[in-house]
Amino acid sequence: MSKKLVIDPITRIEGHGKVVVYLDDNHRVTDARVHVVEFRGFEKFVQGHPFWEAPMLLQRACGICFVSHHLSGAKTLDDMIGVGRRSGSGLTPAAEKMRRLGHFAQMLQSHVTAYFYLVVPEMLFGMDAPPAQRNVLGLIEADPDLVKRVVALRKWGQELIKAVFGKRMHGIHSVPGGVNKNLSAAERDRFLRGEDGLLSIDEVVEFAQDGLKLFHAFHEKHRGTVDGFGVVPALNMCLVGDDGNVDYYHGKIRVVDDAKNIVREFDCHDYLDHISEAVEEWSYMKFPFLKELGREQGSVRVGPLARMNVTKSLPTPLAQAALERFHAYTKGRANNMTLHTNWARTIEVIHAAEVIRDLLLDPDLQSDRLVLTPSPAAWTGEGVGVVEAPRGTLLHHYRANPEGNITFVNLIVSTTQNNEVINRTVRSVADAYLNGQADITEGMMNAIEVGIRAYDPCFSCATHALGQMPLQVSVFDAAGRLIDERLR
Amino acid sequence: MNGYADFPGLEAFDRPAALIYGIGNAGREDDGLGWAAIDWLEAESLCPQAELQRHYQLHLEDADLISGKDRVLFIDATQDAAVESFRLARPEPRMDLSFTSHAISIPTILATCRTCFRRLPEVHVLAIRGYAWGLRTGLTPGAQRNLAQAIATVTARRAPPSPS
Repeated sequence: MSKKLVIDPITRIEGHGKVVVYLDDNHRVTDARVHVVEFRGFEKFVQGHPFWEAPMLLQRACGICFVSHHLSGAKTLDDMIGVGRRSGSGLTPAAEKMRRLGHFAQMLQSHVTAYFYLVVPEMLFGMDAPPAQRNVLGLIEADPDLVKRVVALRKWGQELIKAVFGKRMHGIHSVPGGVNKNLSAAERDRFLRGEDGLLSIDEVVEFAQDGLKLFHAFHEKHRGTVDGFGVVPALNMCLVGDDGNVDYYHGKIRVVDDAKNIVREFDCHDYLDHISEAVEEWSYMKFPFLKELGREQGSVRVGPLARMNVTKSLPTPLAQAALERFHAYTKGRANNMTLHTNWARTIEVIHAAEVIRDLLLDPDLQSDRLVLTPSPAAWTGEGVGVVEAPRGTLLHHYRANPEGNITFVNLIVSTTQNNEVINRTVRSVADAYLNGQADITEGMMNAIEVGIRAYDPCFSCATHALGQMPLQVSVFDAAGRLIDERLR
Repeated sequence: MNGYADFPGLEAFDRPAALIYGIGNAGREDDGLGWAAIDWLEAESLCPQAELQRHYQLHLEDADLISGKDRVLFIDATQDAAVESFRLARPEPRMDLSFTSHAISIPTILATCRTCFRRLPEVHVLAIRGYAWGLRTGLTPGAQRNLAQAIATVTARRAPPSPS
């Protein structure tokens, strides 16, 4: 007889989805799928709007990574008006550095949110802990001083986003060909020195190391669980600069295999030559893959783990030291351990803080040369913009008619890129935790969530959703009967 | 506690250590009530010394924000049909498990403030009844009427001595 359980409350992913696990007569897992059941709409309703509105509208697909959407869109507009790197002109140094400053502010804020608010409670209290404890509110009561430092760090990131974009959410800063403001000396000093109750930049760099220390301490105690949880193969993809190392704002798209050999490297404008998207009737989220390799061999992982697998080094000292330990752990091979995504994420928190410090000390940010205005003849009417969002490679592609109205939009967001590998992770975790078990415990079900959550997926972005739907975990037996279900 | 009886009057918030925080989204019809109230304060030059904020929802950082204040007024829209026009209330600190990385409740913000920052300001909530939440700017006539009634009430009340 089927039964139904309810998890209340847990919503520690952005947006909502549904997990279905299929069991045979011996309760062995035969399949596991992550269904994304939100409505996909942003690509359509932007059509007909003036091209310059697209980055403002499309950033509203998300309340967390809106900066990434805004910047990806802005880079697309640069293409459309005939400026930027594709045209060979580049933006002014001030414009590109201001964009990078906002980008890393969001990287810091988003990663701190994902790691401390969503992942650390699981690490501290365990997967089997009561839901009332296994969340950030439990963390507040268990370690208020840590939470105070985290709040201060996130607030600093939010304030920097606000200083760059004008608002702490969905602001406007990038315009076609540049940005609309610089960072005044007074604003710079506020963040360097820590005025108005903000941390100083030195404190930010110090606090940014908390996450890595926590990860290492947890890893020391639970090495077997962390290393053996959801180990799934996939290619690794991210943007790289001319030196072959990750570049979060601009570069070529590089894909490496398990031995870190380069499988593909291409300009983002050629993405349609290299990437296809498969569809399944059970999910609104597509499954991108490298065309020539097919879906099974050509699916990629993006995000912190992929970036740390692709890059050989990082240009800031504390992050570089952390990266060397990360690389040494897998003896130079790609790291396929899903929970090591959290390790990679903490390295990127440190890197973001260090890059921001360097940028704040750069006098180009006070320059008034902010926008390039090309002649109307430079108009191309089509553009592609890619950035490394906190969750991974994010691509915007627009076309407009001669009047400048949008006729086509394609978004391939980070969570979509990770769709196949998230499904593989869920299958792996279901195999490990549910196989042969007659009763499905909350700990088992939560293990599936942990596997998904490592990717910090944003289903709202991935489906360009309107509204929210609940996450549902369902288990079916061989006869197709629902035997367990959890809703949140 | 009776929120009406406890409410000190709007002029009690005209101080640098006061915060008036509008929650909502002006692009979602009556969800813009909180922001509309802040718009009205600015248009009428009321409480010029208070810090005024507009945000889509609360974040954990708001615990830090309110920890530096001695009096806070949150203004938000409500769908609660039991609220005829508006309601004043005094929220109690409580970890109510409402947290997501997108939003958090007022009682949880208060509890976080007390636990992490070891202080708690005097907090009031003005919840104004709304009726429509679609993708459209502008308040419905009913929401506008409720906003006007709420404004009339909070401005009519006289302020007691300020908290020290």
